[in-house]
Amino acid sequence: MNAEESRLLHAYLDGELDPPRAVAFEARLAQDAGLRAAYERLRELSSAIREEADYHAAPAELSRAFSEQAPRARRSWLQPALALAAAVLLGIAVGFFLPRGAGEEALARELVASHVRATLSDRMIDVASSDQHTVKPWLSARLPFSPPVSDFSGEGFPLVGARVEYVGGKPAAVLVYKRRRHTIDVFVSPDVPSGRAASARDGFNVERFSAQGMGFALVSDLNRNELEDFARLLAGRS
Amino acid sequence: MTERSRFEQQVLPHMDAAYNLARWLTRNDHDAKDVLQEALLRAYRFFDGLRGEARPWLLAIVRNACFSWLQANRPGDVAPLDEEAEEADTETPEALAARSLDRRLLNEAIAALPVHFREALILRELEDLSYRDIARITGVPIGTVMSRLARARRLLADSMRVIASAARLPVHR
Repeated sequence: MNAEESRLLHAYLDGELDPPRAVAFEARLAQDAGLRAAYERLRELSSAIREEADYHAAPAELSRAFSEQAPRARRSWLQPALALAAAVLLGIAVGFFLPRGAGEEALARELVASHVRATLSDRMIDVASSDQHTVKPWLSARLPFSPPVSDFSGEGFPLVGARVEYVGGKPAAVLVYKRRRHTIDVFVSPDVPSGRAASARDGFNVERFSAQGMGFALVSDLNRNELEDFARLLAGRS
Repeated sequence: MTERSRFEQQVLPHMDAAYNLARWLTRNDHDAKDVLQEALLRAYRFFDGLRGEARPWLLAIVRNACFSWLQANRPGDVAPLDEEAEEADTETPEALAARSLDRRLLNEAIAALPVHFREALILRELEDLSYRDIARITGVPIGTVMSRLARARRLLADSMRVIASAARLPVHR
């Protein structure tokens, strides 16, 4: 294997090739058994690391220590007042010149904020269960609709529970899944706008699609490729 | 929203990623806590300078704090690498023994990697970061990230094989 092939191999494994180069590389993989074997070994190593290497979560005392040590910001009343005035002016301007995609942007912001709030307050889950037959009735009892609920443990996306949130003032089911150490919130509601979209905010990826009259929105710090895979899984099952 | 609550909302959700990186770079809990505590206060002071995503930004600060700490306390760990040698290394892992080994041995093998390779591997495999983000965090060009990652994987596969044969572990699974 030459240097060029080795670089391509790692870049392909890491999802770093643009689509035309990925397609070209797949054609080479299909023809070259040696290259294919090298790729399989590399992929096996990568998944061994992802599954078996220790992930060291931050001890709770660190957040506490930060809260005690970080200086409280001193602000005059003027700053919030100015910020409010600016927000009002901006609101007016945006109202007049609402750009395409602004609704998407606002929705992504709300979904990410909800995900972050739940992470911070440790209130990700109101009903903790990997059993879809426990989660579904729990949600149906609290919502004016019945969201589809499936476990994907077999595919590496175990269901861990659910909660109920408000999105755009309407109740939505939030199914909580895990992918290794990453948490994925799946917002499901007939009121989440239909259509497909993807965006990123503050280090979180958002994927949207609709199926069977329901809007689905996935929010996670998981990488884009795997989040897309999971969206496809969900779309196939519902 | 105050500066502080913006910080808490944008930066603190990435505490686990920050701690995981600090823990893998310093290789023990006590030092990781000390370094991260310092790094968080520094991040808070420079929060005004945050443009773009919070996670790579925070990880860059944590990474630099770890390297300063290693420089002061374990200078041998951060000795400069012979990057030329990396470029010459083009082979991929041969017979991979990773699956046949237990968790502890894999973790020891990662901890034994030179720190520049270790950080590339942790940021890619455990934090799912793109080459571009890893390059920004570690302050090297993307090409260097690629060769360090390739080298890290090769070294890891090699050492797993050595450990496996030394321990005469049966290859199974």
